[in-house]
Amino acid sequence: MSTSLPARLALYVAIAAPLVLIAFSDRPFLVQVAIGTAISAILALAWDILSRTGQVSLGHAAFFGIGGYGSALLTPILGAPLAWIAGMLLCAVVAVLLGAVTLRLRRLYFTIATLSFSLSIHVVILVTPGLTGGSTGIMPPVIAGGSPTLQLLFITGCLMVAAAVSDVFLGRRFRPAFFMIRNNPDLAAASGVPVTRLKILAFVVSGMIAGLAGACYCGLYGYVIPDDVFTTNWNVLPLAVTILGGMDTTLGPVVGAVVLRLLEEVARHFVGGVGYQVVYGAVIILFIVGMPEGLVGFARHLMRRYRRPETQVKKPELAS
Amino acid sequence: MTASVIQAVLLSLTVAGLYAAVAAGLTLTVGVTRIINFAHGEFVMLGAFLTYWLYTRYGISPWLGMLASGVALGLFSIVVYRAFLARVLKQDEHNQLLATLGLSILLLNVAIIMWSPDPRVMQAPALLPTLQFAGVTIPGNNIVVALVGLLLFVALLGIKNYTRYGTQMRFASDDPVLAMHTGVNVDRIFELSFVIGGAAAGISGGLVALLLYVQPTVGIDLVIRAFAIIALGGLGNIPGALVGAAILSLVEGLIGTFVPGGGSWGFGVAFLILLLVLLVRPSGIFGRQVHT
Repeated sequence: MSTSLPARLALYVAIAAPLVLIAFSDRPFLVQVAIGTAISAILALAWDILSRTGQVSLGHAAFFGIGGYGSALLTPILGAPLAWIAGMLLCAVVAVLLGAVTLRLRRLYFTIATLSFSLSIHVVILVTPGLTGGSTGIMPPVIAGGSPTLQLLFITGCLMVAAAVSDVFLGRRFRPAFFMIRNNPDLAAASGVPVTRLKILAFVVSGMIAGLAGACYCGLYGYVIPDDVFTTNWNVLPLAVTILGGMDTTLGPVVGAVVLRLLEEVARHFVGGVGYQVVYGAVIILFIVGMPEGLVGFARHLMRRYRRPETQVKKPELAS
Repeated sequence: MTASVIQAVLLSLTVAGLYAAVAAGLTLTVGVTRIINFAHGEFVMLGAFLTYWLYTRYGISPWLGMLASGVALGLFSIVVYRAFLARVLKQDEHNQLLATLGLSILLLNVAIIMWSPDPRVMQAPALLPTLQFAGVTIPGNNIVVALVGLLLFVALLGIKNYTRYGTQMRFASDDPVLAMHTGVNVDRIFELSFVIGGAAAGISGGLVALLLYVQPTVGIDLVIRAFAIIALGGLGNIPGALVGAAILSLVEGLIGTFVPGGGSWGFGVAFLILLLVLLVRPSGIFGRQVHT
């Protein structure tokens, strides 16, 4: 998993280039699909960063929504760029609090706590119509004047930021500590890894990136209701995307988002608007049983097998 | 005023019977196999549909329908366990959670595709007479739900604590390797507990048909509550599930009745309470506390 700087840059270009091409193509439908896919990828990267510390969240819709609502509601007060930063900082604060509360929870309890957190936030929005518009929703300022091309370019930029952050946490500084916390927290603590601090750090970063995805989503059409963002769909989607593409990688969530979107469109074609999420379920089951490392892990496995003689000679890499 | 308070409390407690039934089946499975079965809610949903159809198409009494649902879902659990869960049992907890979540999403959406997401009402005559005293009215079906829920609950508790299988279940869950060496067929015990949990889900489904709208999403709503309940009560702790169910249904019922427009947010407040409880006691009110 050596990711030298040139290799990483090549990866970013490989991700961004098709999106930029689509942005300048004259296919409105394709542009919308690309926008949706890029937002899913950002959210999935956020989820994956947290899961690297063994914290399986089913509550990322909360951060998705808080980021979207926060940036939208603060824009009239602070102006566009500052409001987005403030929205993400709000996510960071919420993540610190939730992270501190859930720190000691074992796996199932952690997952339930995050799920219940997202449900509670939905209710908070519904009961404070004065502040958040309640169930009628809000009208966030539209990104880039509503031009789909510019919107896609902007969101591609956000995706690059998320990918770069994800790579920082896959780099030699964080990766060993994160995976040690996931596999054996006691051993990690005993070896001097600051478990608490890193778990909360992962939560904060993950929450902020999920908030960024939410801000992008809310800024698409200039109108959003709580049921759009605080739904179980956004809790499950990042997980399905990441499982499909491959966990613990930067490319995985992106590939997963593209493939899941393709499957979704196919399913929509056959079963219509409701029930297309059947592919989420099928994908998760198939991949857990047959390909637990996701598409990227599977491809890597194939490559490794193909290149076996060479890898055996190679020196073992240090954790990087 | 007092009558309406008493009525709201009693109605909430009858709903607690349903919650307890769903949660008890789930907590039995989770407590023994350590598999966090998200699809339990979909099993309940399938039971509700089965009871509903048996009544509306063939005129079969919901009493029988409930039993039939229990048997059918028990059989279905065998299939699910053998074809699917036994394979992920060896993988880590993370993957087990995701696998059952996938199963849950799959069953939910298949139900939506096949039967449409519309809510249905089973207009069966009440199975028991309505109870009326001092200005308080408790519909007969609520009484049925409370009674059957409690009965199911006691039955599961009895199986776990007082039968040979129950002893083996607790042994297999505490130390699977040691249990295997002493001649307990751990795999079969796991399967058995999963099947009992599935049958309980089927019967709970019958209760759902009596009390709530029959619709594909009914299961996911219930299983989320059931998770909250078992987290409140402590994982694998069946009496704890009863207390958790009472807390959740009371909070939800009272807010829904007495706060204007509060029908939709009782659920969220209940979860806020759960978060607070987990903050103080990370393994639930009655759960064994693990110090890390």
